[in-house]
Amino acid sequence: MKPKLSFEGLHACSGCEMALLNLGEQLLALFDQVEIVHFPLLMDHKYGEHGEGGALSLPKADIGLVSGGVAHTEHLLVLREMRRQCQTLIALGTCATHGGIPAMRNEWSIAETLRTVWAAGTSDNAPVPCPGSSALDRVYSIDEKVTVDVSLPGCPPQPQLIAAVIEALIQKKSFQLPQKSVCDACPTLREGKKKAPAVQRFLQNADYHPDQPVSAMRCLLEQGLLCMGPVTAGGCGGKETPLCLRARVPCRGCYGPVRSGGNQLLDMMNGLASNGIEYRSLVDRKSMLRFSGAHGLLKPARKKQ
Amino acid sequence: MKTEQKIIAFCCNWCSYAAADLAGISRLQYPASIRIIRVMCSGMVHPEMVLHALAQGAAGVMIIGCHLGECHYIKGNEMALARAEVIADTLEDLGYESERFQLSWISSAEPERLVDAFRNMCGRLAVLQSEQPADPFTEA
Repeated sequence: MKPKLSFEGLHACSGCEMALLNLGEQLLALFDQVEIVHFPLLMDHKYGEHGEGGALSLPKADIGLVSGGVAHTEHLLVLREMRRQCQTLIALGTCATHGGIPAMRNEWSIAETLRTVWAAGTSDNAPVPCPGSSALDRVYSIDEKVTVDVSLPGCPPQPQLIAAVIEALIQKKSFQLPQKSVCDACPTLREGKKKAPAVQRFLQNADYHPDQPVSAMRCLLEQGLLCMGPVTAGGCGGKETPLCLRARVPCRGCYGPVRSGGNQLLDMMNGLASNGIEYRSLVDRKSMLRFSGAHGLLKPARKKQ
Repeated sequence: MKTEQKIIAFCCNWCSYAAADLAGISRLQYPASIRIIRVMCSGMVHPEMVLHALAQGAAGVMIIGCHLGECHYIKGNEMALARAEVIADTLEDLGYESERFQLSWISSAEPERLVDAFRNMCGRLAVLQSEQPADPFTEA
């Protein structure tokens, strides 16, 4: 009997599902090895309170994939049901592992967020339409709510790595996830000397020659661009050049911290300060947690009295 | 002041830890909320250690090293100074008051100054405690 696969998305954009489908020809071989029992993006399946039983129920599965963080009470119900029904639960994508982009709202309280979202621009006095919103106080990563067996960060995770992990689980083999930072796979030239004492903004262009390969370009951090490479988990480009570096732009930090408990903001600031870079020239420091705001890292600023 | 609040003090082995030792021998009193952790140099205290202490419920964190120019490892306390600026700024970003962190320089012959630093920190945190709402997520 084929192992059963279940794939549920919570507070997410379906990008992780797309990453899996983006596997190319390998996808057919992979789908031959499993029986998909639940995959809302691919097949219509009524569940939840409008489903057949009247109560939320998901089928049992051997491998469960969950993308997205937990932002609403419904997410929590679905996630707990997934955990109950799946033997191995994989947190897929940075939203599931570290909160991801949606967790940027943790910078404000839920009341502030609702006010900002609903009362904007010309409709300043518009009432918040749903006072009984099911939104939780903040956006959680799924490992804050249930036990997770495998964490696969990435925005989105690299398709080949998703496939490799699923195949290893099918064949009950062990596997090794990348544990190094983005810099580990980055071929740019490091001269050890910083060029600029200030940090330039993301919209500044790097200094490079378009005809030459990335390996002839100087390290972007040494060029004075804020590259999150040193504090970000690698693996986005497989063993090749990291993806953003291929486009000659600095790493945005989408794989979250290198160690699971790390703090990208603090680590990056520490790195900048110990290298004598004027970190106060950064315009928006908090945005360094744009992908890892869950786990209580991003919090509303306390109001000074 | 609440006695259950805890303050983690990272003390350098060569100066402030010895000063704390001397304070004990001299029977100087300081608040019971201080928890000393001996480190070999103030420069080895990574910002994440400070954040970890706060995240685990410490009310405040102190890093206490040798006076500038008197570091046992030549430049360790200068590293601590560079990091301390980052810590103070970043704590605000991460939702903690920068007052919860303190960097001090105290030599091994200055137990009174150490005790004063401990008392100041406790007083400052008690003030902070009294004027803030308990939960940052509840709307003010």
